[in-house]
Order: sequence, then C-alpha cells, then structure tokens
Amino acid sequence: MTLACYLPSVEMIQCQWCHAQNQPGTASCQTCGAPLNERDKVSDSGWREAPRLRDMTEFRFSGSTCQVEGELVPVAEIALHPQDGVYFEHHVLLWKDESVPLSSLNTGGGMKRTIGGMPHIVTVANGPGRIAFSRDAPGELVVLPLHPGMELDVREHAFLVASHSIQYSFIRIKGLVNLLHGGNGMYVDRFVTAGYPGMLLLHGNGNVLERTLQPGEKILVEPGGFLYKDSTVQMQAAQMQLKTGMMRHGMYLAEMTGPGRVGIQSMYVHHHAD
Amino acid sequence: MNTYICRYCRQPSDPNSPTCPLCGAPVDIRSSVSDSGWVEQPPIKDMARLQFGQSHIQIAGTTVPVAEFNLAPSDWIYFSHHVLLWTDTQTQLTSMPMRGGWNRRLAGMPLIMVEGRGPGHLALSDNHAGEVVALPLQHNQQIWVREHRFLAATGNIRYDWHPTGIWYTTGSGDDQETHYPMGQYGDVFGATGGPGLLLLHSPGNTFIRDLQPNQTMLIQPSALLYRDVSVRLSLHLEYPRNMGLAYWHSRWSYRSIWARLYGPGRVAVQSIYAPPEDTEMITSHSYATTHHW
Repeated sequence: MTLACYLPSVEMIQCQWCHAQNQPGTASCQTCGAPLNERDKVSDSGWREAPRLRDMTEFRFSGSTCQVEGELVPVAEIALHPQDGVYFEHHVLLWKDESVPLSSLNTGGGMKRTIGGMPHIVTVANGPGRIAFSRDAPGELVVLPLHPGMELDVREHAFLVASHSIQYSFIRIKGLVNLLHGGNGMYVDRFVTAGYPGMLLLHGNGNVLERTLQPGEKILVEPGGFLYKDSTVQMQAAQMQLKTGMMRHGMYLAEMTGPGRVGIQSMYVHHHAD
Repeated sequence: MNTYICRYCRQPSDPNSPTCPLCGAPVDIRSSVSDSGWVEQPPIKDMARLQFGQSHIQIAGTTVPVAEFNLAPSDWIYFSHHVLLWTDTQTQLTSMPMRGGWNRRLAGMPLIMVEGRGPGHLALSDNHAGEVVALPLQHNQQIWVREHRFLAATGNIRYDWHPTGIWYTTGSGDDQETHYPMGQYGDVFGATGGPGLLLLHSPGNTFIRDLQPNQTMLIQPSALLYRDVSVRLSLHLEYPRNMGLAYWHSRWSYRSIWARLYGPGRVAVQSIYAPPEDTEMITSHSYATTHHW
C-alpha cells in the first residue's frame, strides 16, 4: 500500500487564467490574483476577458507580494523581499519607501530607442521595501506569470513592471510596410524567462481580451488594439482593399498567425496608417 | 409568450430572459431614477447577447466595452473604420461612400463607412471609458444622434445627417470664428423595411428622460447623446448678475451656453462632455433665448 492512500484527497483549484494550482477555499489565485469563484468570461468567438482583479487582491511571486488597489486605474503595490528586485520605466513609479534603492539598467539600443520614443534605460528597484506603480489611463492590470523558457512580445509603453528574473530585450519591427502601417511603432518589447519563472505586469487600456490561436489560424486586429502575444505568433501588416477617405485607399490591420496567445485592449488611439 | 415593454428601449421584450434581447438592459433590476426624473441607463451586462435578424451581438467588458458581432450570411452592418477592433478573415469588408463628402470632411465626419457582411465575426469598440447603448428601431422610427457617437447600425437603418443649427461666432474680421457647441451636424437614423438596431458609444454614464409637450430644459450641448426627432433644440445664453466685476468680463468669462430642449419626446445625456470655451464675446449666433440675471 502506498503512502498516497493515507493522504486525504485534496482537490486543488486550477486558475483559468494562469493555470496555477490553488488550495481549496482560496478566493483568488495566489499566482496571478484572478478571482477563482467567478465564472470564466469567454465570448462566443473565443476571446477570454482578462480577469478583473478585485480591489486589494494579493498574489505572490518569488518571495515578494503584490497587492492591486483600485479598479478604474489600478495601482500595483509590491512588498519586495530582500532578495528580490523589479524593473520598470521610470515614469510609472507612483510612490516608494525611502529605503528602497533605485538603479538604472541600460537596455541597449541607445539613440535608436530614443528616436523610436522608447526608453533605453529602465529603472531597477531592489528589496526590502514597498514600491507602487500605475499608468495614467482607465484600464486593467494584466498579470502574466511566465514559466521558464517563455517569450512574450508586448506593445511599446504597455509594460508596467517585471520581476528581475525576466530578461528584457526588444525587437525592431522589420519591413517598411510593417513599420509605416503596422501602428505599433518601431519596437516591440520582448520578455524572456530562462531558468527561473517570473512575473510580468502590463497595463491594458480599457478592457483586455485574450485568445489562443491554433497553428496557422489567422485573425486581423486593429494595430492600436494589439497588447501582447507569444513570440510564436507572427504579426504582419495586412492591407484591406477598403477606401476609407476621399484620397485614401487601403486600411492596414495587423494579421496575427498562430500558434499562441494574442492579447488586445479595447481602448486605443486609432493609428493613422491610411 | 408573455411580453413586456422594456423600460429602456421601449420595445416589446422577453421577461424570461435575464437581459432584454433587443437592447441588453437587465430585466431583473430596479429602475434607478433621480429625484428630477432622470432614469439611469443600466450598463449592458458583461457577455450579454443582443439579437438582430439571424445574427447576434455579444458585449464584452465594462470599462470600454467591445461589441462582438456574429453575422449570419444574410445580415450586414456598417460602421466607421476607426472603431474596428478585430475581424476574422472570412467576414467581407467593403466601402460604403456617404453623400456630401466635402461638407462631411469639413465637419470632421467620416466620409466613408465600412460594410461588414456575414458569415463571420468582427468586433467594434470606441476610445472612451463609457457604455455601449443599443437602440432598437421599429420600421419608420427615427432618432437623432450627436455626431461621433455612432458605433454601428444594421443594414436596414438609413443614415442621414443635418446641420444642428446651434452655433455662435466670436471675434470679428479675420479673427471671426464660428463655434458649434453641439457639433456642426447631427446624425439621423431611421429604420426602413423592418426593425433595425443602432449601437452608440456613450462616454461616461447614460441617463434618459421623457419631456412632456412644451416642457423645456437646459443641458450642456455636448452632453446630449440622442433625442427623439420630436424634441426640438435651440441655443440659450445665460449671463450672471454683475457682482462688481467689470461689465465686459461678465459678458463672456462667466456666461453659460446651453442647449434648450423642447418636448415632447425622449432625450438621453452622457456624463462626460466638453463645455464650450468662454474666451471671447459672442458677436452673432443662431436663434437663441437669452437670460441676464
């Protein structure tokens, strides 16, 4: 007889958003903060709403804790463990304990990044201490726990904060058509986990929806609505044969080809690619 | 089947459904009415479905809701291209030119609409925190909508547009400027050949009210979302009593520019609006009533 026969059977609850296992009786996922006692919201065509995190929800990453405050323009307040660190664009910092040290990290790309309107330096904060972040538009905090070996591409200026175990790089959008008409600027941020898991927080404007594309499956998305994607998803500017103004021919959409996840935001500045 | 009249869209509806299948308003909630008679339009519940023809719409999200259309082969809708959030590859998208192109361009209105034909899926969203408002229209029913609030309409809804007739000028000579506090044009939608569905995006919250015949009220011009075509409009200028301020100062800095509404009919307002600028003296204006305190 094995030991398992003597253990009480405990049915763990799987989070529908990040798939982490949680103890029974838990109201929100300990890994991403998603409510566990609410029905998953998936539209008929397969778009899943990012979970609306309840006010004051807490979740953990590494040895640190993140608490989400507010629902209109949510604030992510992080209690950093002494061994932990996070990095972010400096203008999303809302407040911090005086004792939390800040340092800067060069992302490379220097002048090219500056020309592209992107920071070439991110700020790093190390524990112990508390620090809080928010962006400046009504929307949602999107919590994306990354397992080792994952690569995620994020539209510029959507990244809020990431744990120090995640590598930050960027890819330059290739092809003149993609650059001029893609509506996503010159760069896409790329977050990679190597040997350790990590925590990535994004701010999506309006509501955020996610869909998983099968291999070869295509979807056309307004480029301004693109928020993130797995790096396995290919993104190309696709011209629609539509007249949209007196002298304007052809509207461009971002054609996403699976496999992988695609995240979109419902509030965006329409790109004037036409 | 039992029916009841939905208190928000005023159409016969199904009481056994949790939400009105025509406008998405929750059936099982108590009406929220202010002391002065404004009825708060309840936001469409997340993932609620609305029916039109053989197709349906699902509303996703509550901050900046997305209207996701599942179009049957026989159905089509039209919309402005800048509200398209995503589409699948089999939905047919074609251009739909509007009459009066040059005037529409001058007024900042879209010149060309996009037709989306089934079968297929597509989704639309606007760029403001607010609500999607669904207005089912019966055959020959018309509704006036403030410009830039239109999200989508079913193919059998006719779209026309007319000058609002609400304007004033400031300055003189080369510096003269004409202001349209309610927009230069208003959209008029009417159902033909059967019932249709009109979707609007309302920034902020939405409130509706019924005006009795000859009842009047004043509202911020840019807060008007829609009105029955039986409701008439004019400009109303209001100046505060001069309490020791320089006379010319009170002539513009503290004035109020209103839209005066005349019943009968239904009006709806949105809670996010842009008040008119009050920088210069008004030199001429459309028909207006005036009040000096």
